[in-house]
Amino acid sequence: MSDWTEADLLHWDEKIIRVAEDLGLDWHPIDYEIIDYQEMMGAMAYTGLPTHYRHWSYGKEYERTHTLYNMGQTGLPYEMIINSNPSIAYLMRENALYIHLLTMAHCVGHSDFFKQNRMFAETNPNHVIDTFKAGAKFVRQLIEDPSIGIDKVENILDAAHAIKYQVPRYRGITTPTTTQQVALEREKMENDPTYDGDITKTPLQPEYNVLRFIADHSKHLSDWERHLLLIVEESSQYFIPQALTKVMNEGWACTIHYKIIQELNLPDSLHLPFLKLHNQVVRTHLGQLNPYHLGFKLFEKIIEEEGFDEAMIVREVHNDISFLRFYLDEKFMQDMNYFSYSFKKTKKAITIDDVSDDDGWEKVRDELIRNVGLNRVPIVYVDEVKKDNTLCLVHEHDGRDLDIQYASKVYEHLQTLWGDDVKLVSLVENEVWEF
Amino acid sequence: MSVFRKHKSIVDRAASDRFRHKKKIEKAIKESIKDVIAEESIIGQNGTKKIRIPVKGIREYRFVYGNNEKNKSVGSGGDHTIKRGQKIGKQRAEKGQGQGTGKASDKEGDEYYDVEVSLEELAEYLFNDLELPDLEKKRFRFVSHETIKRKGYRFKGIRPRLSKKETLKRKIRRQKMAEKAGTYDPEGDERFPFHKDDLKYHHIKPKVKENSSAVIFFLMDVSGSMSMERKFLARSFFFLLYQFLNHKYDQVEVVFISHSTQAKRVDEDDFFKVGTHGGTIVSSCLDLELDIIQKEYHPNSWNIYSFYCGDGENWTSDNEKCIDLFSQIKDVSQLTGYCEINEHYKGLADEVDPNDPFHGTPWGTFSAWKNEEMENLWSKLNPLCDNKFKKVMVGQPEHIWKAFHSLFGGKSTHE
Repeated sequence: MSDWTEADLLHWDEKIIRVAEDLGLDWHPIDYEIIDYQEMMGAMAYTGLPTHYRHWSYGKEYERTHTLYNMGQTGLPYEMIINSNPSIAYLMRENALYIHLLTMAHCVGHSDFFKQNRMFAETNPNHVIDTFKAGAKFVRQLIEDPSIGIDKVENILDAAHAIKYQVPRYRGITTPTTTQQVALEREKMENDPTYDGDITKTPLQPEYNVLRFIADHSKHLSDWERHLLLIVEESSQYFIPQALTKVMNEGWACTIHYKIIQELNLPDSLHLPFLKLHNQVVRTHLGQLNPYHLGFKLFEKIIEEEGFDEAMIVREVHNDISFLRFYLDEKFMQDMNYFSYSFKKTKKAITIDDVSDDDGWEKVRDELIRNVGLNRVPIVYVDEVKKDNTLCLVHEHDGRDLDIQYASKVYEHLQTLWGDDVKLVSLVENEVWEF
Repeated sequence: MSVFRKHKSIVDRAASDRFRHKKKIEKAIKESIKDVIAEESIIGQNGTKKIRIPVKGIREYRFVYGNNEKNKSVGSGGDHTIKRGQKIGKQRAEKGQGQGTGKASDKEGDEYYDVEVSLEELAEYLFNDLELPDLEKKRFRFVSHETIKRKGYRFKGIRPRLSKKETLKRKIRRQKMAEKAGTYDPEGDERFPFHKDDLKYHHIKPKVKENSSAVIFFLMDVSGSMSMERKFLARSFFFLLYQFLNHKYDQVEVVFISHSTQAKRVDEDDFFKVGTHGGTIVSSCLDLELDIIQKEYHPNSWNIYSFYCGDGENWTSDNEKCIDLFSQIKDVSQLTGYCEINEHYKGLADEVDPNDPFHGTPWGTFSAWKNEEMENLWSKLNPLCDNKFKKVMVGQPEHIWKAFHSLFGGKSTHE
């Protein structure tokens, strides 16, 4: 059935490692799990993590993959890798050898990126698996606890998931503690008598970690509920760096797998199907953004113009936003023919707003950046808690309006968690919208 | 050197989460079922065929940007001929989901799951919380099936019916007697064997399980005023009724009667297909029904259900007769339903106190009543209304389920 044995994998693994070391890559060792397609779907449902707490949404994800796969609309991924030490990656038993080679080389690229990129500096690859294991165990105990049970757990998890991306998204910034903030405010007030500070306000500064804030300040949550929120927050924190570097991470991994495979001197029987697959992965998707394509092409350009060493520095210091701002230029945008489009209420149709010509490319670029990773997630922060314990949240409006239907559902979830009144302020069609 | 591990897990790790998700979907089916019951594809299916019901996916809500002008998407174009202002579609293209880990949150398009259910399961979902108006004890006419019941023991029988317990009891009894008689030494090594006389067998007796039987009369107005839309509503309504009664009874017979100025007994196909023509005399079909009841379905042995469905237009001169016939039918039936199709009606079940379904009057402005030739059959039927005679009004497909609920919802008191 399959055209490979484990000895083949070991043989090629050794060669891949040698080439990667020659390139100067430095990555976590990789453990490959060889699994069948059902296990693959299981792993995918839990974003590749070997242990994860229970929630129906992962069952839904499984069914979704399963349906699409059965309908032939989607293949299963060639690569899935966990940012841990050792990195855990999956090889699907049913796949042919050339797919495994691509996957393994690709995973080396990812693991190198995890270990080297600045955004991942605060992740804890040595303990990530244990962290998730502990979370899974805690949730399991809650479900089994006769006084709690699955319905109550789901109630909290559903609500927590609604705001799971409402966590700080920039790394390497240490926020001052409350005492420090109070001291700062005091100092400001003393130095500048016109400064109107308020040291009784909670929080003193806008708080972007809504999950943690609610866990810390809600007056109605019980201990296990607070703990549950923190588990969700912890797992969000794990994913944030990946969301911040999706384009770079995939672009780098594709660059690396391409470079490695070229060095392996594969026989034609492996090399030709590899090329075909590689081109499939990095092809453009009409009318969409394919991060694999965008990242691969940008790294290609950097290597062409400034050499591989520069690319090594880029993969270390940038995130998607800075990466795209730095390296997307007019020629690139034109060559790739990027354009922006939106739904026009008046025309009841989607029309093109801007194309990448002399006048438009910068606008298209800016829109592109707004569509990458977490930039697609609206920012909502805790403004203050009023005296009557009303939680006031503000949506940081950047020109794009919230989907009101979705927002009102999230608002209900927020009420569940907070227990008292919640106020959410946003702008809709240039008017203040308050929930 | 990397490590390669054959995955050893035999546990289907997503199983319990899939189960929870399935539960949620089931709940959604129950909620969305009223949207699909009037679908053409369901009506007229037989019980074994599977029906695909599209169920909206259970969403997880997050803060997302809305689908508006300020929220632009970016994509790569196929060729360089694209221009500003060019129309490229009606709906926002769904965002491509990247492969691999670390998916950023994104608003998903509307997901639909095709859930396959058989008509029987559908009936289960639909009708479980509904009650039939209490059945009066009827002389049972149908023997629906025989069951087998164990009854006592016999010395003769076939091997599979051997009663081990009784057999062993007899052996022990014989053994004790042998000990007392001194012919058998329990301390010794010799075993005390079974004897042919120890064997006892279960005796079985067939039991006849009796079931009540029901006949449903479907009466439909096919006069010229019944447009295709009205007939479609009537058809959906009848189909649902048929499924419901089928679900509750082992044996259901159905009599289809269509009428314009004259009533005709027809078969199922014709009932739903017959063209629209002629005027309306409601009493004609009621006459025919009473006739058929008398000849074929005596009320003593049959549970009779009668449902009339029409657009409420009737010749004034006929109304008095109708009331009389309706009350006769009511007397012999378990339940008589009068369903009026009127597209001007916007939501009976919303406006009327569910406990008092026949006294609301949201129909003052209906076109039918403005025609002075046509008298208001609906309000004339008011005196008949009680637990055994119910009126419902249907204007749109989504009213059917509500109408159905007001017919069968809740227990009616025993008479």
